[in-house]
Amino acid sequence: MSLLLHTSGLEVGHDRRAILPPVDLQVHAQQIWAVVGPNGAGKTTFVRTVLGLLPAIGGTVSQRPKAIGYVPQRTQIDAAVPARAIDLVRAGGERGWSFLNPIAMMRANPAVDRALRDTDTEALARVPWLQLSEGQKQRVLMAQALASQPDLLVLDEPTSAMDLHAERGIFALIERLRDSRGLGVLIVSHNLGLLGRYATHILFVDQDQGTVQAGPAEQVVCTDEFVLRYGTLLRAQEAP
Amino acid sequence: MTDDPSSLRAFFAAWELFGDPTLTGALCGALLGFLGVYIVVRRMVFLSAALSQAAGLGVAAAWYAQIAWSVPAAVASPTNGAAIFTVFAALALMGRRAGQALRSDSVLGLVYLVTAAATLAIGTRIVQEVQDIESILFGSGVAVAPGDFHLVAWMTLLLGLPHLWLHRGFAQIVLDRDSAQVRGLPVRTLDLALVLSLALAVSVSTRVLGALPVFAFTVLPAMAALRVAANLSQALVAAALVGAVSGFVGYLLAFSWKIPVGAAQTLVAAACFGLCAAVGLARRTVLVLQPRHVHGPQCGHALVAHGDHHDYVVDGRLQHPHEGHEDDHGALQD
Repeated sequence: MSLLLHTSGLEVGHDRRAILPPVDLQVHAQQIWAVVGPNGAGKTTFVRTVLGLLPAIGGTVSQRPKAIGYVPQRTQIDAAVPARAIDLVRAGGERGWSFLNPIAMMRANPAVDRALRDTDTEALARVPWLQLSEGQKQRVLMAQALASQPDLLVLDEPTSAMDLHAERGIFALIERLRDSRGLGVLIVSHNLGLLGRYATHILFVDQDQGTVQAGPAEQVVCTDEFVLRYGTLLRAQEAP
Repeated sequence: MTDDPSSLRAFFAAWELFGDPTLTGALCGALLGFLGVYIVVRRMVFLSAALSQAAGLGVAAAWYAQIAWSVPAAVASPTNGAAIFTVFAALALMGRRAGQALRSDSVLGLVYLVTAAATLAIGTRIVQEVQDIESILFGSGVAVAPGDFHLVAWMTLLLGLPHLWLHRGFAQIVLDRDSAQVRGLPVRTLDLALVLSLALAVSVSTRVLGALPVFAFTVLPAMAALRVAANLSQALVAAALVGAVSGFVGYLLAFSWKIPVGAAQTLVAAACFGLCAAVGLARRTVLVLQPRHVHGPQCGHALVAHGDHHDYVVDGRLQHPHEGHEDDHGALQD
């Protein structure tokens, strides 16, 4: 499996102050990495630093794929901007300076169509964003991320404010996309139950404990720091 | 029998006199309406107010430079003064962290207040030009010099065409700036291009039309368009049309009703907003009043088991009634 993302001693934080110990991480294709930790633990700060949206305090992101599909929190899409689902998905097809090329979007059409198909959002294409349900919005944002034909999919709390069945549907979709497109996935979520079912690896961060644990899910859930925070719930799930 | 001097026939009979100012209003309205969509959706409405105020200060400073320091009029022209001060204010507002600085109401308020106070302070030193400064701030000028009309026409062309070409890029930073940055779009360059083009449009328009209609053109047409447009592209076109109509019809009304041009153009733009708001409200009302399908034993949709509950099958997807709405439970699996 090819290496997609490599961080070496990456320190993340704000105002030149690191909030977590250095993070060494290697994300390969076909892996699903769950970024877990309590509220305010530094999960989003870590992800935004990896994406290049925040400057690193120390260390480096020594390898980052050319195309990253970023699925932001749904509240990040401004309700004041009129947009249909198809407008958002097409936006995902814009990369770099492609907007300078008048025919670039025509070239991106096959990727947009495939993204709509893979996320089962074709029927929603003409529906205004504000009229979509939470689950539909999430699938549209995933289609937007896929329209850029990424190697790595990064999702920030994709199932917040959803009922359990809709959450399951989103996680099942992520797993299906991982399999069909060979993606690596980095996902921030609080739903430990579903992460325990779908995640192959875990990055556990906790600003209060000053700890970072990264590795295969079955190893991380057994660490003292993880058990101190979450107990043995996930370890019990891993047992046959 | 003679025509009523305020009739439309009299107006068009004197088109040679009124053509330039009418078309100038329409062109400024179209360009500022187009740019205003980005301003309104990014909640930067007071950016244009601060920039137009800076343009006013630039005009005052240019006159002061001519009078107090004998700087040649060709160098310290009001147009140059407005452009320099507006661009400088725009760059200052961009700051080190563009996104945050532009959204900071307090910073915009500071620029607005400082430039307004400085304009008034300089105005006391150039008494003979105070009337002109007032016309710039409140837009009461009726005539537009041919040179100013050509300036506005070129500005509309030189800013409008690149914006039409680059609108997909500008749309990205409006829709979701972070995602655009992750996809490698030059968000900071686009921010800079947007603010500088707005600064140039505002400075020239303020110099020619006055601050009031310029502020109105950057806010009201966009607000109107956003009430009826399905997406950003439609909003840009609709806002340009509303701006053009406001500029043109506003001048006509000012002529007929003998009221200040800037006030008339602002009122027409406000009326367009009212009309579009009513259309938008009517559309939403129709949607709400449409009978909503309620799932039940006789609703016609198949009921299937799904995990520990049952869902209805609609167009190949599972719908689950939940607290007055339907949750989407994914595609029906074979």
